[in-house]
Amino acid sequence: MALEKQEQRPAAEKGEHIVARHLIEDDSIKEEKNLVIDGVDVSGRWNTFILSRVDSEFDRSFFREIKDTVVGSRINRCWQCGMCTASCTVTPLYRRFNPRAFIYMMQLGNLKELKKYIDVAWRCVGCYKCSQRCPKQVNPAEMMEALGLVIKKYFPEEVHSKLKVDEDVKKIYDDMIIGHGRLDLAKLHTSAMQKTGRTKELLGKIERDAIFKMAKDGRAFSILRLGKPHNWSRSKEAIENYLKNLNTIENGGTGV
Amino acid sequence: MDKLSENQAAYYPGCALLTIDRAYNNSSKLVSKKMGIELIEIPDYNCCGIGEMKSKGAASMYMPLRNMMLAKNRLGSKNLVMACSVCYHEFRRSIIRVRENRNELSAVNAIFKETGEFEDEYEPDGDARHILEFLYNEKGADEVRRNTVNPLKGLKVAPYYGCLYSRPSMYTFTDKKPQMDNSERPRFMHEFLEAIGAETVFYGNEVQCCGGRNLVQDEETSFALCSQTISKAKKAGADVIALICPKCAGALDVNQPKIVEKFGKDSELPIVYLTQLMALAFGFSKKEAEFGDMISDPLKALKEKGF
Repeated sequence: MALEKQEQRPAAEKGEHIVARHLIEDDSIKEEKNLVIDGVDVSGRWNTFILSRVDSEFDRSFFREIKDTVVGSRINRCWQCGMCTASCTVTPLYRRFNPRAFIYMMQLGNLKELKKYIDVAWRCVGCYKCSQRCPKQVNPAEMMEALGLVIKKYFPEEVHSKLKVDEDVKKIYDDMIIGHGRLDLAKLHTSAMQKTGRTKELLGKIERDAIFKMAKDGRAFSILRLGKPHNWSRSKEAIENYLKNLNTIENGGTGV
Repeated sequence: MDKLSENQAAYYPGCALLTIDRAYNNSSKLVSKKMGIELIEIPDYNCCGIGEMKSKGAASMYMPLRNMMLAKNRLGSKNLVMACSVCYHEFRRSIIRVRENRNELSAVNAIFKETGEFEDEYEPDGDARHILEFLYNEKGADEVRRNTVNPLKGLKVAPYYGCLYSRPSMYTFTDKKPQMDNSERPRFMHEFLEAIGAETVFYGNEVQCCGGRNLVQDEETSFALCSQTISKAKKAGADVIALICPKCAGALDVNQPKIVEKFGKDSELPIVYLTQLMALAFGFSKKEAEFGDMISDPLKALKEKGF
């Protein structure tokens, strides 16, 4: 019975959504017309070569930067099996979002390649399927947070231009969570709409109905009574001091 | 220090449950009380960080652990029960991390020392419990069956666990835990639903993500994921979807009019909380279970089925 039910599932080709990628750029592939090596004519089938590429000066400081953070502390364990990408919720929707490739680039310190993926770098929904299935407990879901920290440090301008919405929303969250100690969901929704220039939608029918419903049954007023934890200012100060004195990339651009 | 009695448990409500998701809060308390456990809210709680603090080192662990300290200091309880899956994940993540990593524990304790709010240091000995797992382990499905006075015969329910209730096992499982739900095929909600007389349907998206985390920044992703879940449940013949997380409700219920607008009527299905259905089966009225709070209108679906 159980088997029969399983067969009703849509039969997606395994790994169908994963885009193949390679780190060799097209202009470093050379195809010779007539090539003779050591007196042997190798033109035809054997004439495709890759220009030699030598990475001699590895920048280990970049690797350490990630390893020192709480979220990226297991980066050295990854052996690139790709289980994270195969199970990812986001990859079928954003095909360029590939956790395995991002971890590989972070291991190598390949910032040039990482830069190409800034626009999808923060699309992780944090569902932890990858961390569940990872055979080496790398915790890729949290590694994506480390990726966020890395691109925030090295590409602040691109983050500002391509990920402005995410940056703004993160700041609203920080202000609320660290600043007030509690989350006001109504304020979060309205201020995020304002920041992204969608104030008009707040006056649309769907939003209006929801607000009216909440005002009618009294939930809107419970939001006003949410308040702050007693003496939260001391916790706030301690958290801000902690972040200021951190010597890892976790303190960069915290917005506090 | 007020000590809790044997049939009381320290309860962390979280920000959503005290405001817009009061339906879940109230029905959880009703159901627990009927099953013989009174949930006592910890005073002065603070936000758990809802996953937005993860990249801030030990500060992300301070947020949940302060609540654990409150439970210990004010209510004398090592353990803390919560209903929100996101809070549950954040609590368990912090507890497991500081249990395994001395450096992170001392970093968190340094923050505690600076605030001067508590006299003692944090000791990683307590546990965070999700209400579903808590009721299952403490009371069991048989207790649910005993309390059912109004069995929901003929109601087809699609159980939706979401992501963070059962995943990742590195945070949900520990050596000293009571029985935990399976990470890939959870079943506690199935057992509870069958105990109250409802019928569960298999639809394949039980542990899929609702995209709730990026709901504010990137609602398109969430809409696509939610529409897939709802339409699959509808195709499998479900009358309602049962949830155990207020974030899933934010994505599946509150946004449902927008999802229907975009993906059509296939994505329209009433959304309820598991505890609401349990409260209904335990003999509480629909008003007490706050079914009217849900945007997707479960009242109509329940009425059609004769409840």
